[in-house]
Amino acid sequence: MKTEHHILDILQLHEYGMAIGQTLEYKKSCDLFLTLLLKRKNLNAAWIIEKQDAQLLTTYAIPIGNKPQPRVLIKDFEMLDDINDHLILKSFDHLQELTPITLEEGRLAIFSLKEQGYLFLYSKKDNISSRDMAQIQPVIDKFCVHLKACNAFKEQENLLKDLEAQNQELSDYAHMVSHDLKSPLRSIEALLSWLKEDYKEALGAKGVQEIDHIGKHLEKMEALITGILHYSSIDRDLSKQRPIDLNLLLDEIVGVLRPPHHISVEVQKLPTITADRFKIQQLFQNLLTNAIVNLDKPQGHIEIQFENDGGEGHFIVSDNGKGINPSYFNKIFEIFQKLENNSTSTGIGLSIVKKIVHFYGGNIWLESEEGVGTRFFFTLPDTL
Amino acid sequence: MLITKTTITDIVTAISSHVKDKAALITIAEHTEIDLEHLVKALKEAGIPFMGGLFPKVIHGNTILDKGIVINTLDNLESLFVIKGISTAVFDIPDFDFNPNNDYSLFTYVDGLTSNISNYLSALYIKYGMQTNYLGGGAGSLSLEQKPCVFTNEGIFKDAAVVAILKMASRIGVRHGWKKVGGPFIVTKADGNIIKEINWKNPFEVYRQIVETHSGRVFTDDNFFDIAKGYPFGILKEDAECVVRDPLMLNEQQELVCVGELEDNMLVDILHGNTTSLIEAARTATYDSVTQASAPKKAIIIDCISRILFLEEDFDRELKAITSTIKEAFPEVSIGGALTLGEISSYGEGFLEFYNKTTVVGLFE
Repeated sequence: MKTEHHILDILQLHEYGMAIGQTLEYKKSCDLFLTLLLKRKNLNAAWIIEKQDAQLLTTYAIPIGNKPQPRVLIKDFEMLDDINDHLILKSFDHLQELTPITLEEGRLAIFSLKEQGYLFLYSKKDNISSRDMAQIQPVIDKFCVHLKACNAFKEQENLLKDLEAQNQELSDYAHMVSHDLKSPLRSIEALLSWLKEDYKEALGAKGVQEIDHIGKHLEKMEALITGILHYSSIDRDLSKQRPIDLNLLLDEIVGVLRPPHHISVEVQKLPTITADRFKIQQLFQNLLTNAIVNLDKPQGHIEIQFENDGGEGHFIVSDNGKGINPSYFNKIFEIFQKLENNSTSTGIGLSIVKKIVHFYGGNIWLESEEGVGTRFFFTLPDTL
Repeated sequence: MLITKTTITDIVTAISSHVKDKAALITIAEHTEIDLEHLVKALKEAGIPFMGGLFPKVIHGNTILDKGIVINTLDNLESLFVIKGISTAVFDIPDFDFNPNNDYSLFTYVDGLTSNISNYLSALYIKYGMQTNYLGGGAGSLSLEQKPCVFTNEGIFKDAAVVAILKMASRIGVRHGWKKVGGPFIVTKADGNIIKEINWKNPFEVYRQIVETHSGRVFTDDNFFDIAKGYPFGILKEDAECVVRDPLMLNEQQELVCVGELEDNMLVDILHGNTTSLIEAARTATYDSVTQASAPKKAIIIDCISRILFLEEDFDRELKAITSTIKEAFPEVSIGGALTLGEISSYGEGFLEFYNKTTVVGLFE
């Protein structure tokens, strides 16, 4: 009979133990374990109190209770600090402030959950015994560790949400600022043009030349603002996905870019993908522009190809230009980073490329040798 | 009050004159020849607040009826509402402001053939806790075909529960009388009301071994319920009678389909009862409620339909044991109730549970 009781106790502990750890959601975890405990042990209530700043706050309760939660200071209940494992009380009038329900007679067990606070178990009858509570202590310890994981998970989720919100705010801000800056820039361009026409004689040849310099800087500034606008817009407009024949698109891009005569562009057979046409156009246009401006050979060559290696496949844009020192392989993708003081470059093009590649779930990397040329590789898994 | 009339006008008049300006608890036997929709509409038009359910049989005094309507007055009704979508587990229990200086009783009829009833009862207890007593039962047809079976002024519903909160004290006794013949076993896999594995084995293999040995009978293709009605499962509780789960049938995978939910890792015993132990338990449940009461006005009996299927003609003796225990202490108390598909109460005012094969006696003061 005694052995049978021991087996029963072990099996019961097994049931309690298995109710822990089924989810990382704090409330659901408490529901699963504490409801079971209340049912099997025929108890009336269970609640958890946590230390937050200088206060004790109820973070979970079954039943949810009818009492308004007063401001309870930790210093008024220092006796809780003396609980190592658990404590059973027959008289608990002095703890009414810590209870979500009005306690009558019965028994109250308080378990220390370490940094996760305290677990209170209440029965109106006298069915909370030292033996029972000592028996479930290891299960409560497991519950305590699990609550710690729940809290860490929650914290991580909150951080992620904050980060997402901040990213969105930043993107919105960049979008708004770049959009608003364009308008005064256009006004300055128009005024300069009028100034040049109306006061050409008064300005003289040198003055006109200076105004042309200002105009070039304005063009660069506009290109920079357009770049920022594009960069901040990549995560928007998710609805414009449509099939794109990349062979046709590349023909168009090369036509628009009009590379100098000494540069040949060879487009190998490319796939049809499903994506936002504007984003894909930006991606290839920026890579080709980057290749063109960095071509220093008498006979420049750029090649665009797609290699399907049995996996998701990858694109390659290669050139026989200046090449890049490996120490700059990461830096070139950072926004506003330029490897040399080139007046036509904004330092945004490759960062836009990287953001578009990431937007479609891909990666971008490169191989390069200074004086020989560069090969950019990238994947676009979400478009294929 | 028992109504055996079948015309809607007569029934509405009888209910109205019985409850006067109060609310009515309407318990209807499933074979009563009435148009329930018509009745609900007529009661609504008559301005009578009510809640009720359709049950396999009803109890009035010492009588069990297949046809008939039992009416109880819901004195001091504070709140009456419907909870819809019990099986979805997505519903809200309304707030209620209990006065700590008063006693309350919550009465509920739930669609006994829907799923997630235990979750509904947990939600009730989590919301209202110890501020009220709880009593109720599972409504529905003995054909086990799920159809609308609970109703209020709002209409007739299935997959729902109807609830009345009364400002009155109640004394409740709960017993079943089934005793362990095998176990404990671990329900290693369960899905809702289906036991899929016991001790990592096919559940019927384990069940059959214990039951055939104890009963001396052999399961065949067509006698499962005939034997199983005498061998329910008991979910172990410490310091209290176990919670009974009734095996109803085998599915194609030879898994055990029960009335009421089971969960993974539950500990269960296989139980057996006899006429004496069951009747004695019903008497004790009644005694438990009678000894707590001082001046009850009415008694509501919620007894499981499967007890009558097991006890057969001896069920009259069980009912007499209940009614005589009440009448000996309180001769004036009116007695009504239902034979239900599952019973609801809190054991010794602990957490709310959904029982099978159990007798629940409530005395209302």
